Order: sequence, then structure tokens, then C-alpha cells
Amino acid sequence: MKSVKTDTTITMPRSHPKKSSGLLRQMGKRLDLYLMLLLPVTWYVVFHYAPLYGLQIAFKNFNPAKGILGSSWEGFGHFQRFFDSYYFWRLLWNTLSINLFSLLIAFPIPILLALIINEIRNKTFSKWLQNITYIPHFISVVVIVGILNVFLSPHTGPVNLLIEAFGGTPIRFLEEAGWFKTIFISSNIWQNMGWQSIIYIAALSGVNPHLYEAAKMDGASRLRRIWHISLPGIAPVVIILLILDIGHFMNIGFEKILLMQNNLNLESSDVISTFVYTTGILKGEYSYTAAIGLFNSIINLVLLLLVNRIARKTSETSLW
Amino acid sequence: MRKRWGRKMIMMMIASSLMLAGCNSGGTNNEAAPEVSKNDVHTTGFPIVDQPVNLKMFTRIAPVNGTFKEMPVFQDYEKLSQVKVEFIEAQTDGFQEKKNLLFASNELPDALFRSGISPLEAIRYGSAGQLIPLEGLIDEYAPNLKKLMDQYPEIRSGITTPEGHIYAIPGIVTLSAARTDKKWINQMWLDKLNLEVPETTEELYNVLLAFRDGDPNGNGKQDEIPMTARVGLAVVSAMSGSFGLDSQLGYNINIENDKVHIWMGSDQNKEMLMYLNKLYKEKLLDPEIFSHTEAQYLAKQGSGNTGFFFDQTNNNFLSIKDQYTGIAPLEGPQGDRLQSQALPIARDFGAFAITSVNQYPAVTMRWIDYFYSDEGSTLLRFGREGEHYEMKDGIPYYKEDFLKEISNQAKITPYAGGGAPHLISEQVASFINPPQVQEAQQKLDPFMPKVRYAAPMFDEQTAQEVNILRNDIDKYYEEQSTKFIVGAIGFDKWEQFQTTLKKMRVEELEKLYQDAFDKMQK
Repeated sequence: MKSVKTDTTITMPRSHPKKSSGLLRQMGKRLDLYLMLLLPVTWYVVFHYAPLYGLQIAFKNFNPAKGILGSSWEGFGHFQRFFDSYYFWRLLWNTLSINLFSLLIAFPIPILLALIINEIRNKTFSKWLQNITYIPHFISVVVIVGILNVFLSPHTGPVNLLIEAFGGTPIRFLEEAGWFKTIFISSNIWQNMGWQSIIYIAALSGVNPHLYEAAKMDGASRLRRIWHISLPGIAPVVIILLILDIGHFMNIGFEKILLMQNNLNLESSDVISTFVYTTGILKGEYSYTAAIGLFNSIINLVLLLLVNRIARKTSETSLW
Repeated sequence: MRKRWGRKMIMMMIASSLMLAGCNSGGTNNEAAPEVSKNDVHTTGFPIVDQPVNLKMFTRIAPVNGTFKEMPVFQDYEKLSQVKVEFIEAQTDGFQEKKNLLFASNELPDALFRSGISPLEAIRYGSAGQLIPLEGLIDEYAPNLKKLMDQYPEIRSGITTPEGHIYAIPGIVTLSAARTDKKWINQMWLDKLNLEVPETTEELYNVLLAFRDGDPNGNGKQDEIPMTARVGLAVVSAMSGSFGLDSQLGYNINIENDKVHIWMGSDQNKEMLMYLNKLYKEKLLDPEIFSHTEAQYLAKQGSGNTGFFFDQTNNNFLSIKDQYTGIAPLEGPQGDRLQSQALPIARDFGAFAITSVNQYPAVTMRWIDYFYSDEGSTLLRFGREGEHYEMKDGIPYYKEDFLKEISNQAKITPYAGGGAPHLISEQVASFINPPQVQEAQQKLDPFMPKVRYAAPMFDEQTAQEVNILRNDIDKYYEEQSTKFIVGAIGFDKWEQFQTTLKKMRVEELEKLYQDAFDKMQK
């Protein structure tokens, strides 16, 4: 029986050398799988590729009554207007810096947490730690911002009451531009570190336990084992996740930033995506903000390609 | 294995990252709506049509309102007019967004009711053909509105584009008390602390100090809020008259000898912001003024724990109304004393508009016109006689047992929550403008500007220019003023503020307004 099976798989392609019909035949053989693929492909075409044709309004003066095709061409005028705008550098800096800092600070923390959880011998404690760190992930953004408002209120917030108890003066955390990024990023960390660490914990459990035993025999300390076995073991996952993070680098935290924004922290909270929303949707400047959004996406794409290339050069792992 | 997974991921990433700029929209043009032959529409009397007509209207509902379908005004009017209106309701939160998406996707209702369309939107969507010109329809089918426009010519000039079109109808307010916020001060606290009603900004400062320190509510704690206002820069428009700053043409503009002056970079403005900064620093101005919500602000009014604030009516503190009294504008350091926070007679621009998909524009115009009569306005605001209101000396008053539950009122009328297209005259003002409010208004009257110019209508191209300029300038002005008031930036940065305004071409903006004003004068 065994030999028959291998025989057929080998001879099948040989007996049908024509490539095109071969593909169809292959598809026919796995029709069920391809049917399952049909739905996501349709979803992408309808919702992600078809709307791309609307991108042209970035180069037009979009007039809803005339439709996308009927509107007159503007060329690069909207881009020019954005680059000349007073807010251009501020928007670009805020967008880049919030995300860059998030990446630098928030990205390593789940890895650290995963390593700690992995090293804890007491199973009950490690389960407990894992639970309390990932539960905040399920709180909605609106509620999180509400919690921040309550906790950081200058009069009644526990944080400021504590500061006052120690003789300090209350800080208007949410109304000072200087505090915005710190609060935004640290609350993000609090909310997401447990959740993001799950994938690392999974990766860690896949590391061959014999390696640890061998290292122990050789007298490696716990830190040594983490450094030489755990970290290299999860490195490919880390790199893939890093590149995926870069993939939506420019769009992180739109809702949360919007909810936390006010006139007093606008200087450091005004980012491209919120600007696109307030100017485009609320003031109806569709073409102008489509141009800004396109610009945003291009930066993002360039960043993604760049990081992927660096990853491929310096390590074996990359997305493509 | 890893690499193949990656390839799929990248496809998704590119697609989704480009999505942000994508925007899908049907590009269908509207065919001209077939006119109902004139015989079908009765030009006078009711019903408007013999055969029932269905209309879809997009509308905003305020948090206090119930659904429009259940309001007696629309139920009764449907029977009277034979026009069935189906309302597409959007909450005040997110209303602007929904309205814009409606136009952007070109999925239009027949009309927009209580729509808060701005002059710029009216021009943009009007010249695009999504809103239809109404001037002809008004002449033919809107006798009530036409009469008001003849009586007050500024209504017509305020809503007509340079090309001579009217794309949106305003809410009309002939009652001056309904066009400005009164200045309410806590008379009980003044009496307790043996203080006079303040006449100048300096006296106000001292009164507020006393409110803060004198414990006028007598609970032994320093928990009084000496002065508060609506969220954001409302306090600026409420106080600007004391510093000689007017709000003509719907913007931060003074007009002297036919010269338009945008005052944002002026010394008077600096003086005002310094004054407000002083109040804020010394905790005389509510520290939550830039963060509290509308509801919180209204609750503060009702708490009786505030010293000085601004509101059009006394509705929000009715239960303790005797504690407060309306005062005249304060005299500023340069002797200025102006009530600059006042709106034109065409108070709510763009309250109603008809779109190009409407098959019965004439019917729709007659339908809305009724609310510009005293009778229609009474129906809209008071509901059914006997059930909700009764007449006393020819003026409608809500019945007392109906008002027992105060929230009843907003459930039966779309005017609660503001911005409904109708006539507000003394005839229908018994609830929102009772004697106390009228008295407060009388204190303001001597200081009202002689003319209040509404925001001008620009032609399409100029409107676009104004829009581009104002987008940057207004954002900058709001942000910086807020910072000056709370002291996040010092006044040593004032010159920088002025330079930046110049860089944002505020002078060009001034010129555009000057041109528009000159045209209005012709």
C-alpha cells in the first residue's frame, strides 16, 4: 500500500506536463480549500483593492455631485498645500515620534514579560501574573481614556492626591503637551503587554528543553540560559512581529489619540491620522486629506520596505 | 515556511495601509427631478397636496429630545398638510460627520431639517448641484418666510450668494433676547458679602476674589466656583466686548468706518487674554473650563455654587433662579462696554435645505414655510392646545401639570436643543424667555452693537480660499488662546503669535472679508 501511494504522487505531474491545466487540475483536486480561500480573497478585492481607485481624488478636486471620475484634475496641488502648511512639520514629527517611542519602549516589554513568566517556577503565580497582565487588553479604548481622565484629574485623581500627599503640586497631566506622549505610551504598555507577550510565551514553549538541560549540565547560570537559548529561540518571531508592527507604524492608536486630544496638548498629540479625520470628515475637505492620507501611507510603505531589507541583511528572517 | 507566510502578510499590509487614503463613492449624477405639476400643490391653505406625499428628511436630535416621529407637532402637521415626513435621525454627537458623509457619498435625503449647514457648505454643495436654489420657491411658495425677509432685509443679504442663490434657510429670531447669552451673577452671594453689582472688569475681579475667599455659600469650605463658562473659548466671546472686540461678519472682526479689522493679533486681544489669564491663575475662572462637558457645565449652573456665568436662558437653573440676576456688560480698562456676543436675526444659518433628489420641492417649501408663521411656530414649540399649552392674553404658555416633569418639554418639540428652522418671536417665547430673562436682556440692550452683520456669503472660489486660510488660522488661534489663558505659554511669546498669524496670511483673509463687506454695502 505504502509504495503505491508514493508512486502516484510522483508520477502524477509527469504524466501531465502542460502547466496551465496542471494548475487547474491541482485546484480541482483541492477544491474545498480553494473555495475556502475564495471568501477572504473576495473580501480583499472588494474592500481593499477596489477602493484604491478612489485614491485618485488626492489628485483631483473631488466634488461628490460629479463623482470621482467627473471631478476636475488638480495635480499635486493638495500635496503642495500640505507641505506648505504651518502644521506639516508638527504633524510629521508627532506621528513619527509617538510611534518611534512606542516601538522603542513598548516593543521590548512584552518580550521581557514573556521571559519572566517563562522563568517563574511557581505555576500558580505565573498563571496569575499572566492573567492580570492581559486582562486590560479587553477594556475598550473609550473606557481606557475615561479611566485615564479619572485617575489623572488634577483635583480628584488618585495620582495627584498622592503627589499632593507627598507635598508636591498637582500636575494637569492631560492638559500639558509635555506629558501627552508619556501617558499615551505608558497606558498602551499597561493595556497591551500581557496580550502581546502570549505569542512570545508560545514561542518560548517551543524551544527544545534538552538545550536547557545541556546548558545546565555545563553550568550555565539562569541569565546565561536566557541569553543564549531563550532569546535566540524566539528571535525569528520577534523580528517578524517587529516588521508587522512597522506595517501599521503610521496609524497606531488613532482612536485613543483622538479621544485624548484637547487644545492644550494638541502640540504633541496632533498626528496625521487625527488631522485627516478632523479636516477631511468634519470639514469636508476630501481631496486635501486624501492627499495627506496617501502621503502617510507612502511613508509607511517606505519604512516597511526599509525595515524588511535591514532584517533580511542582518538576520535570516524577513517577511519576503 | 516562514518566508511564504511573510509574503502573504506583506500583500495584506500594503493593501491595508493604502486603504487609509482610499475613499469609495458612487459617481452617479442626479437627473433633474420631475416637477410636480403646479395644480397638485395648493399655493394657500391646507392640505398642501390632495394626495399624500412622502419626504425623507435628515435631522439632528439633541440628547434631550425624543424621536421626532412621536412629537405631536409632526403628527398633527402630517394630518394637516398631507405630507408624510420620515426623519432620518442622527445624534448631535457625530452629526457633522454623518452629514458630511451623506454629501460625500451622494446618498441624499429629500431635505435637511435642523441641519446646521455652514455658509461654506451651502456654497460648496449648492454649486455642486446637491442643494437646489430656493429663491424662486420662496417667492412662490413661502409667503411667511418672504414676509420676514422683506421686513428684515439683512436676512436676505445674509443668506444669498454673490450669484444670487439661496441654498439654505435659516432659523429666524426676531426676539433679541434669544440671540445673545446673558451675564448671570449670583445676587445672593453679592448680598451676603455686601457687594455691589460689578460695573467694570476690575470690579468683577474683586467680586470674584470675594466669591472665592468669602465663603458665600457658608459651608466653611473654599469650594465656590467664582466664574465659569461653556467649554473652550466661549469665555472669550462672552468677555470680548469689554475689551472693544466685536464679532461682526460671524468672525473675530471689528468694523470701523467701513474698514474690516480681524482683531486676533491686536493689543486689545492681548489685554483680554492677560485678564483671563489672571482670573485663571488665581482660580477665579473655573479650572475645568477647557475640559468639562456641556452637561457638566449645565449641572454647575443648577448647583447654585457658581458666581458668574453666561447663558441665553434661565432654564438650567430654574429651581434656584431667584439666586441670580442678569447684569450689563462690564466696562473694560479702555472704557469699552459692548455686548459683542450677539447673533444676527438669521440666527441659525442653514437650518433647512432641499436637495436635488427631492421630487416635490414646491411641496417641501410650503411644508417648511408654515413654521415661519406664528401659528406654525406655536405648533412647533408648544404642541397641542389644551393638552400641552393654554393661551393667556393671546400668548401660549405650557400647562403647569405638563411642566411638572421638566423633561416633557424637550420631548414634544424639536426646538429644544437648538437650531430648528422656525420663527422665534415674542409670541412664542414664554418658556425660554420668561420675565427674568427679558430683564437680563434689558440690561444688555444699551450695549448691543447698532448693526450685527451676519457671516458673508462668498462665491465658490473665494469661499475655498477663505476655507484654506481659516483652517490653519482658526486652529492656531484657538490653540494659542487656550494656552495664553491657562498660562501654558507666556505673553513674552505674543510677538511670535502675531508673526505666525501673519505668516498664515491673516491679512489676506482680512482683505477677503473687506471685499465681501464692500459688496454687502452696495
